[in-house]
Amino acid sequence: MESQIVLDTFIKETGGYVASQLEACTRCGMCAEACHFYQATGNPEYAPVWKIELLKRAYEQRFTLVGKAKLLLGIDKSITDTDIADFSKIVYEACTMCNKCSMVCPMGIQLGPLIHEVRSGFSEAGVVPADLMAAVEKQVEEGSPLGVTDDVYESRLEWVADEWEVELPMDVKGADTLVIFSSIEIMKFPENIAAIAKILNAAGENWTLSKKAREVVNFGFYEGNEERTIMFLQRVFDGAIELGVKKIVVTECGHAYDALRWTSYNLMDVPKGIEITHIVGLIGDYLRTGKIKLKEGAFNDGVVTFHDACKIQRRGGHIKEPREILHVLSPDAFKEMSPSHEESICCGGGGGVIAIKEADPIRYAAFGLKIDQMEKIGATTVVMSCSNCRLQFTDCVQHFNLDVKVAGLSQMVADALVE
Amino acid sequence: MNWTDVLAFARGPLFQVALLVFIAGMAYRLVRVIFLGWQVDKVPARGSKVGGAAISFLKGILIWPFVPWVKNTFKKNPVIYLAGGLFHLGLFVVLVLGTAHMLVWKSLLGFGWKTLPLPIVDWMAAVTIVAMITLFINRLINPVLKLITGPAEWANLAIVFVPMVTGYMMTHHLWFRYEALFSLHMLAVDVLLIWIPLSRISHFMFYFFSKAIHGADFGKRAVEP
Repeated sequence: MESQIVLDTFIKETGGYVASQLEACTRCGMCAEACHFYQATGNPEYAPVWKIELLKRAYEQRFTLVGKAKLLLGIDKSITDTDIADFSKIVYEACTMCNKCSMVCPMGIQLGPLIHEVRSGFSEAGVVPADLMAAVEKQVEEGSPLGVTDDVYESRLEWVADEWEVELPMDVKGADTLVIFSSIEIMKFPENIAAIAKILNAAGENWTLSKKAREVVNFGFYEGNEERTIMFLQRVFDGAIELGVKKIVVTECGHAYDALRWTSYNLMDVPKGIEITHIVGLIGDYLRTGKIKLKEGAFNDGVVTFHDACKIQRRGGHIKEPREILHVLSPDAFKEMSPSHEESICCGGGGGVIAIKEADPIRYAAFGLKIDQMEKIGATTVVMSCSNCRLQFTDCVQHFNLDVKVAGLSQMVADALVE
Repeated sequence: MNWTDVLAFARGPLFQVALLVFIAGMAYRLVRVIFLGWQVDKVPARGSKVGGAAISFLKGILIWPFVPWVKNTFKKNPVIYLAGGLFHLGLFVVLVLGTAHMLVWKSLLGFGWKTLPLPIVDWMAAVTIVAMITLFINRLINPVLKLITGPAEWANLAIVFVPMVTGYMMTHHLWFRYEALFSLHMLAVDVLLIWIPLSRISHFMFYFFSKAIHGADFGKRAVEP
């Protein structure tokens, strides 16, 4: 039964965008070597091309003469419930939607977005790993996958304001900028909240937080469920409309940035006149325009490197800003990993993977590639602008007992602020 | 019926039919995909979509199609890169810059062009055949390719391989009578022409879609594709 729902969803989603790219695939298999999960495990089922196999089969069997003939002759099989269960594990547990594969594909096929379509079909049929689904449901009910309810939000922010002696404006009507944190920051990296608040205050930004729009994370987007993606986005926009802001700033969260900045416009009516940006872009602007001053060489010891997040750098475009910042903070210590920038290797924890306990072994295996990269340049500090990456790095550094400091970019900027 | 008759049929009426099937088939595929509908992208761009697509094509066609632009890609896929690259290059040289094929083009289009000396074309043809065999073996042993390869992929390889080998054999007068090889060559070409719209060999057409989508998707995010 599930297979029918999946099939119907695939067919519904297949327009020219999906079809033309599925048609372009030459089955060369080059994408496999671009995938950190394949590289780390050698499991051919983790090849990106295999992750879109069912989408391809559905397309061929529904829309092409050859596909219909193949089905009739028994060369191809129709999609079964067993297929769905098998592939669900592959596309949710062994894909971070980092889209590195699209860069290697000689045809330039956007495999990441296509795998997102596959997830959509699975989510409609309810064949989603239980751990991920539990987090989604928690976000539906409580407003946050990590249990940041209204009360938790308020008490947590109060504590941050006290602990770091920082002003956190809440629900200020007429503010220019609405800043929305991810629950990862609220629960696991509260120092990030203090840091970002300090930067915004130093730059003289007229900003506010919102009780309504208190969670930027979008687990519906991880799941690939359009309805829930919109539901969570709407909460954010409702908060923004209520306060009449001109700008929404996504803090250090990658998937949320992808959902808000690059996806929402095609899913729903985004309130007009609101610019959506990422905190790294904002800090970059502050630095360029002189709104904030940083102590040069504030972190100039050891080897400092930057990990590019798939959703903020490769698929967000904020590649230059972190470098500009780090060239001020760590002029001598800064060293690039190879490959980096848009070609960066994924942390292995994004796309909801870190939320799925069953995926732990391959998540750790994929991080092995990051360890190699860091060891090659002798990195002592690794900086990033995504809390999800940071969660993965922090967890893995502990798991592998590595001697590397994991740092958030905003926090380093805040620590180096010159009044 | 002797070989001369077969040849006359294969390069005459059958070729014309095959060509027609090829053109009509590809047109159908194109129209079919275009009319599946396209969502208008309402996302405000940070960079230029057109610029991104232009860079994507520049990297893909005009400068040098087989340069692995992304680090480590060549190192990790040397066989597919070299064999795949040389195969396409050889195909271009033989089909466009070989005198015999140019004359076919001339008869179809009404104009010709300067071609390369036969020894060069001949060597490229040999390289192309070797590349093809390499790709075939690679498909047999590479674990990912084993997983994603079905009858359709094997058929593609075989159907492309026969015209190449018969063409090579006939220029070298190997083993069989010239007319027999020529006939087989033409029959194989006819089969290929009919097969292309039914298979993934048609990727050359959808290449322009996927490359443009890729470039625009990166370009709008101000990232180099």
